[in-house]
Amino acid sequence: MRVRERLTAVLAGLSLALLPAVVSPMPPAALAQNSPQPAQQRGLKVLRVSAIPDQNPEKLNRLYGLVATELSKQLGVSVKYVPVTDYAAAVSAFRTGDLDLVWFGGLTGVQATLQKPGARMLAQRDIDAQFYSVFIANPKSGLKPIRSINQLSELKGKRFTFGSESSTSGRLMPQYFLSQAGVKLKDFAGGAPGFSGSHDATIALVQSGAYDAGAVNEQVWKANLRSGKANRSKVFQIWRTPPYPDYMWLAQANLDQRFGKGFTTKLQKAIVGWKPSDPEQKQILVLFGAQQFTTVNPAGYKQIEQVGRQIGKIR
Amino acid sequence: MRLATPLWVLAPALVLVPVFGLLPGLSHGGGWELIGQFAWAAVTPSLDPLVLGSALQGLGVTVGIALLGWAASLVLGLVLGLLSSRTVWRTLSGNAWPAEVIRRLLALPRAIHELLWGLLLLALLGLKPAVAIAAIAIPYGALVARMTSDLLDALPTRQLEALRAAGAGPIGALLTALGPPLMPQVISYGGYRLECALRSATLLGVFGLGGLGAELRLTLQSLNFRELWSGLWLLLAVMLSLEGLLGALRQRWAMPQRFVLSQGGVGRRGREMVLAGVALVPLLVGVARVLEVDPLALVQPHPLPPAPPVDWAGVAALPWPSLITNTLVLTLTAAALAVGGAPLLLLAVRPWGWGRVLVQLLWALGRLWPPPLTALLLLFVVQPGVLTGALALAFHNLGILGRLLLEASEAGGDRAGRTPAEQALEASGSGARLALLYGRYSSVASSYLAYGAYRADVILRESVVVGLVGATGLGSQLLEALSSFAWDQIAALVLAYAGLTLLGEDLSDRIRQRLLAQQHTSSSATSAIPGSPAADALPA
Repeated sequence: MRVRERLTAVLAGLSLALLPAVVSPMPPAALAQNSPQPAQQRGLKVLRVSAIPDQNPEKLNRLYGLVATELSKQLGVSVKYVPVTDYAAAVSAFRTGDLDLVWFGGLTGVQATLQKPGARMLAQRDIDAQFYSVFIANPKSGLKPIRSINQLSELKGKRFTFGSESSTSGRLMPQYFLSQAGVKLKDFAGGAPGFSGSHDATIALVQSGAYDAGAVNEQVWKANLRSGKANRSKVFQIWRTPPYPDYMWLAQANLDQRFGKGFTTKLQKAIVGWKPSDPEQKQILVLFGAQQFTTVNPAGYKQIEQVGRQIGKIR
Repeated sequence: MRLATPLWVLAPALVLVPVFGLLPGLSHGGGWELIGQFAWAAVTPSLDPLVLGSALQGLGVTVGIALLGWAASLVLGLVLGLLSSRTVWRTLSGNAWPAEVIRRLLALPRAIHELLWGLLLLALLGLKPAVAIAAIAIPYGALVARMTSDLLDALPTRQLEALRAAGAGPIGALLTALGPPLMPQVISYGGYRLECALRSATLLGVFGLGGLGAELRLTLQSLNFRELWSGLWLLLAVMLSLEGLLGALRQRWAMPQRFVLSQGGVGRRGREMVLAGVALVPLLVGVARVLEVDPLALVQPHPLPPAPPVDWAGVAALPWPSLITNTLVLTLTAAALAVGGAPLLLLAVRPWGWGRVLVQLLWALGRLWPPPLTALLLLFVVQPGVLTGALALAFHNLGILGRLLLEASEAGGDRAGRTPAEQALEASGSGARLALLYGRYSSVASSYLAYGAYRADVILRESVVVGLVGATGLGSQLLEALSSFAWDQIAALVLAYAGLTLLGEDLSDRIRQRLLAQQHTSSSATSAIPGSPAADALPA
């Protein structure tokens, strides 16, 4: 009896010890036999599209599902939407080449371009060259709408939240305008601002009173007002920032090598050519909150880069 | 004055006094409506096939990552555990010092939370399933290694010496003398690690490393509570089935319980164990294929962009004292709340039979629900800050500690979990609560608190995950540094974390040793091995 038990214990140990030997050779073996052709070519032919997670996932899934279908139809390659939950993760994944075409915010786009030289800014929405943030507040905070940037100093001593750490409209530019009004991050109640993670969350948190005030993307703010998720009696706009450039489609530099000569231009033309007259394309444009896409003037993002460096988000 | 033993268990709950004192000032109550919607959504989860489909898919990824990370950590941990065992080195080479060196080196991967590993590897390697798996396998592997080597070195060596003296070869002697007593404990512990791996995989998802966690976070942030609960219920079902399955297997195979590592036999039904082990292999291979895991991705780092000059002034300018103080306050508050809260809750609901079931459900939710999400939810009604972070961490750990407390204290009890001593007390006329205190808590007090000390150490590591709520500790600073790609700051913060964790580990080791020694002298009710690393052998 004891011998058998020992034997089984040893066998159990051995089977555990052999586990890696059985598990790990699989991919190399697969690589040796079937690849390089099928496995890698399959990888080559899929255009991986992603976006920073600045909105609710249901909307992201719907929108980028449509984008993938439309691009696939227009370009004749298979297109896959890869959801990403984190702004910084999207930048890293772009740098490591795991994503081919990403809808970035201004800051993340500049971060990604700096980390992956040669990346191309393909397109932006008509609204992106002149984008706005709004500061919002909870009525219980005692804050009132303000008229000039200097009055942002009234936010000193209040509980304040940004959106994601890397958000251009929910953090970078609001922080820049705050600093112009002489408000430092440690001036907020608790010695630091909060980071809600997304525009929707900022609105919910200010509306609930967790924070007295916050900064959000104007487009998302308007959408929340329209849908009724933002209740005007519990959260209201106190100030609209001056305009700055924001979102963009950023593409890897090597798309032409991988998908054929002229592919990047074709891709750009496809996006810029989306028209409200086409039912599918109209749906995409509506979800993007835009009339149409245009080409990008990269010089516009110099301002974002400067502010990013000033605030320490770009180094 | 000396406190009665059972009351020791409740002592940490004293932290509730200041917490309750502070909470009214911190609560703003603005979001009760949202909390109501959240609670209502629990009973009206979305049954939309699209939502369920995507939740199931996410759940599959999470479970797959957990399984693979767990398996890899066991293999890694067993190998490293053997390599860091003094007994093994002494038997094989006559020297024990390499074991010490390896043991110390392993402290670093262990000191860094799996989430940090995940975020660091993500930044270095990109978005790949292998990253999440490695993020679990590295720290867990180091933990398993420590447990294995501690167990090995605590085993009596008489048989080994006898075998060697009789002329047996070193490897054969090691296997024969130490294999059988080690295996059941390792397998039992391994089972618990799988439960932990599932929680870790969910948490990694919350930070963007794939799986259901991502959906939980995004649906919570966009306040889609009904979609959120669809995923949550599915996850709960999986977690409870896994816990049930492992518990049943442990019982069937006569494996030691987690709390009290009895020097039991080898375990029963060896063939079944072997079969189960063998059946795991194709399962793991299948999962790896479905997830398209490519381990080679881990050894092909993508070059980092040209690094900006290291800005030491910037690193030094971080508010270190307040970062560290806040992190410690957060940890201690959360630990005290969790350790003291579990027995207190049980005591509170003791007179009512359904109370225990309710508390168990609450704890299951606590285990299941990643702390950053609790923190976000708390923010709807409480102001941000250290206490909010502590409450979130405490809720999660309460779930883990509470289950352990029940499991340990109800061993040998009747259907309501009452131990014979408790039944006797009740029969002799003492109230249900008093009987629970003296009949049950007194026998587990020391080992529970010893485990609590270990848990505090885990909470310190975990404090990084509530950085989201502006808890202004090291955690939030680190998330900020990660989003700025400030590698100098990231390195400094990770080192600070590792240093703190190592200090905390040392401290909690000492406390635990004292508690266990006390237990050994004061009571023989439990059969923990004297001086054994009983509580070390416990999972994160």
